Amino acid sequence: MFSRPTWRSRVVYQVLATILILPFALPLLWIVVISFEGAGAAANYNAVFTQTPFARFLVNSLLISIGTVALVFVCTMLAGYALGKLQFKGRELIFTGILAGLMLPGIALIVPLFTMVRRLGLFNNYLAVIVPLAAVLLPMTILLARNFMKGIPDELLDAAQIDGATSFGALTRIVIPLSRPIIAVVIVWTFLNSWNEFLLPLLFLQDTSFQAVTQVPTYFTSTYGSDVPKIFAALVLMCLPIVIAYLAFQKFFERGLTAGALK
Amino acid sequence: MTQTATRWQRTRSTRGDASQGRSQLTAYLYLLPALMIIVGVTYFGVFYNGYVSTLDWNGIDPAPKQTGAANYLKIAGDPIFWNSLSHIAVFGAITVIVQMVLGLGLALVFSGPIAGRGIYKALVFIPVVLAPAAISTAFRQFLRPDGQVNDVLQTVGLEWLQQAWIADPNFALYALAGVNIFQWTGFSFILYQAALSQIDQSNLEAAQLDGAGTWQTIRHIVIPTVRPTHLTLALTGVIGSLKTFDIVFLITGGGPGRSTEFLTTYIYKQSVMQFHVGYGAALSIVMLLLALSLTLVQTRIYKLDAED
Repeated sequence: MFSRPTWRSRVVYQVLATILILPFALPLLWIVVISFEGAGAAANYNAVFTQTPFARFLVNSLLISIGTVALVFVCTMLAGYALGKLQFKGRELIFTGILAGLMLPGIALIVPLFTMVRRLGLFNNYLAVIVPLAAVLLPMTILLARNFMKGIPDELLDAAQIDGATSFGALTRIVIPLSRPIIAVVIVWTFLNSWNEFLLPLLFLQDTSFQAVTQVPTYFTSTYGSDVPKIFAALVLMCLPIVIAYLAFQKFFERGLTAGALK
Repeated sequence: MTQTATRWQRTRSTRGDASQGRSQLTAYLYLLPALMIIVGVTYFGVFYNGYVSTLDWNGIDPAPKQTGAANYLKIAGDPIFWNSLSHIAVFGAITVIVQMVLGLGLALVFSGPIAGRGIYKALVFIPVVLAPAAISTAFRQFLRPDGQVNDVLQTVGLEWLQQAWIADPNFALYALAGVNIFQWTGFSFILYQAALSQIDQSNLEAAQLDGAGTWQTIRHIVIPTVRPTHLTLALTGVIGSLKTFDIVFLITGGGPGRSTEFLTTYIYKQSVMQFHVGYGAALSIVMLLLALSLTLVQTRIYKLDAED
């Protein structure tokens, strides 16, 4: 952008860029390298699976993430459609009430969540993580879906209506197929946040057989001491699904993470 | 047919008949699942916090003591609370500024001719998608006195910069800021990159032909043009530092001593570990008020900026 790419400027740019990314690339490299040290790569990774309930943690995180995505998806589609495309009394008020949740720091709710979870007997139940997560994520996803759906031309809905479609039919057959780009963002963003969630499983899933993948480091340190290479092998394994998903869906990840800032 | 048509139409042809009542009902039904969750968790939570914050309660006692505003008065005189605010301010100032400068620098350099740009870009952005829990665990190791960070300083001849980092109360907060910068610079970078791609190339070329150097171009054209992005990053960064929990809790746990106590970790300790549930709830309410006022300032600044 700033100069004609002579070979000299090419070299300058390449060197500058390489220096600038080192603080990000090096720690990532270290994580992988350390996981190969000590007893060796094969032994470390094998130990993670055979000597610890790591596979169980993976399954738990997957169940939590799928549950949260499903719940957020259904609520978001229905609410986004109502707020973006239907007219009813109190629409703006309800919308504002939902948006107020955007600024909410989840940790400010631990006291009431504890009480609710205890009263409802939901300790060691995935719902104790899924529902609060959904409550924290929904304001953002509803905002995104509502803004996107608002842009769908009314004529398309009118046409469907004339063809005898019900309002729900119009949602499933017209609005949802047209909203695919925003649905991808909603799903990616929700999945990322549920997979990476640390606090809620820490509070409510204390039984080892229910713990999430983000508890692995703490679990390891308390149960197996500080066998650093094995802990790092577990780190690599817990990050791998997200990194693969990111590389496969780069655009949606970047859009999902920046969408909140760009509203 | 017409019956069906008026039933759920986005009633522009508004008539106060029964069918319209039904269509309104449909809209409320669609909102019900989301509202049940948001009202049931968030709104109930905030009100419940408000109630509990007036109690002296350990969370279990069936007959908690009403103490009115006592918890709030206690907060006003609690040095740990005020210290945590100053930690958040320092942490927020460092991370926001460094992440903006680095992010913009990266976006500018990456707009040049670079081989392997895709891989470079991915490396900067990957930390953003990783779990803070994973990053924290890794950096606990890297930041040890004999860890990788000190090794690198040694290798490049900067031994005098070596520290005990998270074990030293004078440096632990800066170490945490460093971890946050590692994780979140990719976010600033992507936003700046999007903003830079909007700048009219002919403006830049004109500036170059006028003999403006690269630095002049950046200073007088690029930096003013991406002002909305500076604003967004500054404001989301400030609110983000208020919410930061995972990396603090997992790397220093608020220590050594209280040198890295954040409001979030303090709330966690009071409510979960020490069973001072009433006090924890009052701290939560204060945190909500802080977040709310920051958000109001944010919308206000956006509005002023849009009017310019």
